[in-house]
Amino acid sequence: MKANVPRRSGSGLGEAAMVPVRLVMGAVDAPLRWVQRRLGIGGMATFFLLPNMLIFGIFVLLPFFINFAYSMTGGTALFLPDRTFVGTEQYARLFDCVNYADPNSCTEDTFWTAVGNTAWFVLLQVSLMILFSLVTALILNRDLMARSFWRAVFFFPVLLSPVVVGLIWKWILQRQGLLNFGLYSLGLEPHTWLNDRNWSFAATVGVSIWAHMGFYTLILLAGLQAIPKDLYEAAEMDGTRPARAFWRITLPLLMPNLLVVVVLVLIRAVQIFDEVYVLTGGGPGTSTLYLTQYIYETGFATQLRNPGLAAAASILMGVVLVILTLVQLGLGRKGENKGARK
Amino acid sequence: MGHIKLTNVTKSFGAVDVLHDINLEIKDGEFVVFVGPSGCGKSTLLRMIAGLEKPTGGELAIDGKVVNDVPAADRGLAMVFQSYALYPHMSVRQNLAFGLENTRMPKVEIAERIGEAARMLEIEPYLERRPGQLSGGQRQRVAIGRAIVRRPVAFLLDEPLSNLDAELRGSTRAELAALHARLSATMIYVTHDQVEAMTLADRIVVLRAGRIEQIGTPLELYNRPANRFVAGFIGSPHMNFLEGTLEASGSDRAVATLKGGHRLEVPMAGGAVAAGSPITLGVRPQHITLDAGENSIPAKIRLVEALGSETVLHADVAGQKVLVVAPGQHDLAPGADIRLSLAAAPIHLFNDRGLRLERAV
Repeated sequence: MKANVPRRSGSGLGEAAMVPVRLVMGAVDAPLRWVQRRLGIGGMATFFLLPNMLIFGIFVLLPFFINFAYSMTGGTALFLPDRTFVGTEQYARLFDCVNYADPNSCTEDTFWTAVGNTAWFVLLQVSLMILFSLVTALILNRDLMARSFWRAVFFFPVLLSPVVVGLIWKWILQRQGLLNFGLYSLGLEPHTWLNDRNWSFAATVGVSIWAHMGFYTLILLAGLQAIPKDLYEAAEMDGTRPARAFWRITLPLLMPNLLVVVVLVLIRAVQIFDEVYVLTGGGPGTSTLYLTQYIYETGFATQLRNPGLAAAASILMGVVLVILTLVQLGLGRKGENKGARK
Repeated sequence: MGHIKLTNVTKSFGAVDVLHDINLEIKDGEFVVFVGPSGCGKSTLLRMIAGLEKPTGGELAIDGKVVNDVPAADRGLAMVFQSYALYPHMSVRQNLAFGLENTRMPKVEIAERIGEAARMLEIEPYLERRPGQLSGGQRQRVAIGRAIVRRPVAFLLDEPLSNLDAELRGSTRAELAALHARLSATMIYVTHDQVEAMTLADRIVVLRAGRIEQIGTPLELYNRPANRFVAGFIGSPHMNFLEGTLEASGSDRAVATLKGGHRLEVPMAGGAVAAGSPITLGVRPQHITLDAGENSIPAKIRLVEALGSETVLHADVAGQKVLVVAPGQHDLAPGADIRLSLAAAPIHLFNDRGLRLERAV
């Protein structure tokens, strides 16, 4: 019996595109076979992972260890071999405090001011960022008119460089900026927003939310869209009020996405630097001086630079971030297990 | 009570009309199945009854009360979704309780109802599990359980068996029939599977392109299909259709010439169709026999499917495909010439518009 196999009729374009692929495959085939003979099949996994591991090692692991080494040294010399080993002295200096709640009682008062500012910033910014991102995602998930347009509007600031974000808002908020011009035009009293301790702090929180909210909104929107519609229809048939549907259906099912967002927002909030540096420069005074700016200025921007102290502060910041992330992931897993047992 | 009446109901999505002038009355306790090909509007019709879609026109009444503007939750109906729509983060018990908690029902009564439904559906051992830890069949029972605990006036089931494998589908079908008998509740069931429709329904509503083609009991639809579409849709394998021309008709018999020139005597009242009119003969594959006697036509076998208890023959009658289901086993091969007898077959006749012509006998 003849097999009725359809004749393959590859398109000319597809065939042409395959030519360079075949050439490359032919060229790498022999060397790869040689490597496989030397390493064995098991060793090939390591061979293929090697480029990425090298990049990770050079650009992540090595700087981490160098940074740790710097934190154990003292003096103002930039290059590690020229620096003096001081052990944990830099860490001791950072923690040399009579009362941690009062930065003035600490040897490194600026560090603790930055820590305090960063803590407040993180608390406020993370809560508001998640709240606004969630509300925006919930609104964008509805059958809005021109939904794609609104999604683009909220995502657009994410595409801007942090420096551009800082400059835009500086032009708006500075003494002779757009906001004061508007207030003046309306017959209202202008205000020196960026010279006021409270307003400048609020500005850094608001601007960072404006700049990054679109990204987190997108993650939450993807989570919302992954929730099957028929769950809501079943809830509707059951007479579930919208608020109960949100708390009992939407929120638990959105939790994995929400957890990712919380971790990302938190890390980014602790690391806040560029837009704030451009917008307020940490001022007025030290009211918007956050940890990363302290590290930068201590290590590179002051006349008596102290790379060792900056390195120690950055290591501490890293440790705090790791702890916070682990706590959140742990809480997330605990929540899942608790739900599974219920 | 679970009496549902639809009067001139229409539904459009924008410019697209998906349901046209639906008139249907479902009696209390009746098991009605909406059946039709994909896109015929059967799920939309069910969702309109449920309150998940609003009719564009017409009137929808439940137990005599017009419910066009009544929210889904207040219609007293419960729905079983094709995907089951179980809340994945809740245990089976929480899934069953969720709807009842919305009504602020006392916890004792909720527990009572859950216990009763769980016993009825034999899902008691799984009450603390999550849907993800259950098999397809168990999930399906939970979905039905969620409907049962609400004690609705009618159950709406949207292709509830479509996600199950063939064997489980068969057994669950039987359980659903038993459940209906036990609850005596109105059930409206949507499926595209005519076997489910035939086995479960008190009455079947056949839909095509947003219109009701025929409403009737399974055997009414099988024995007296209103048109060629219903004839082809109900019955498995589907009915054979042979195109021909009416030559002459007597008082109760007529002679039709099939394409290819073969002549067949068909039962038809005289004068129902004028001589020379095009006609379609419908014959079910099970009603054709492998005889060379009276009223037989020559055919060539194209394919033989030996199923053991029966043999399915794919034959060719002058360019027209004919399916024959012959009981038992037959030593036949593709390419063989045979004769197919329609002497004992109930022949259905359809005019050129596909409408049924009444037979004389």
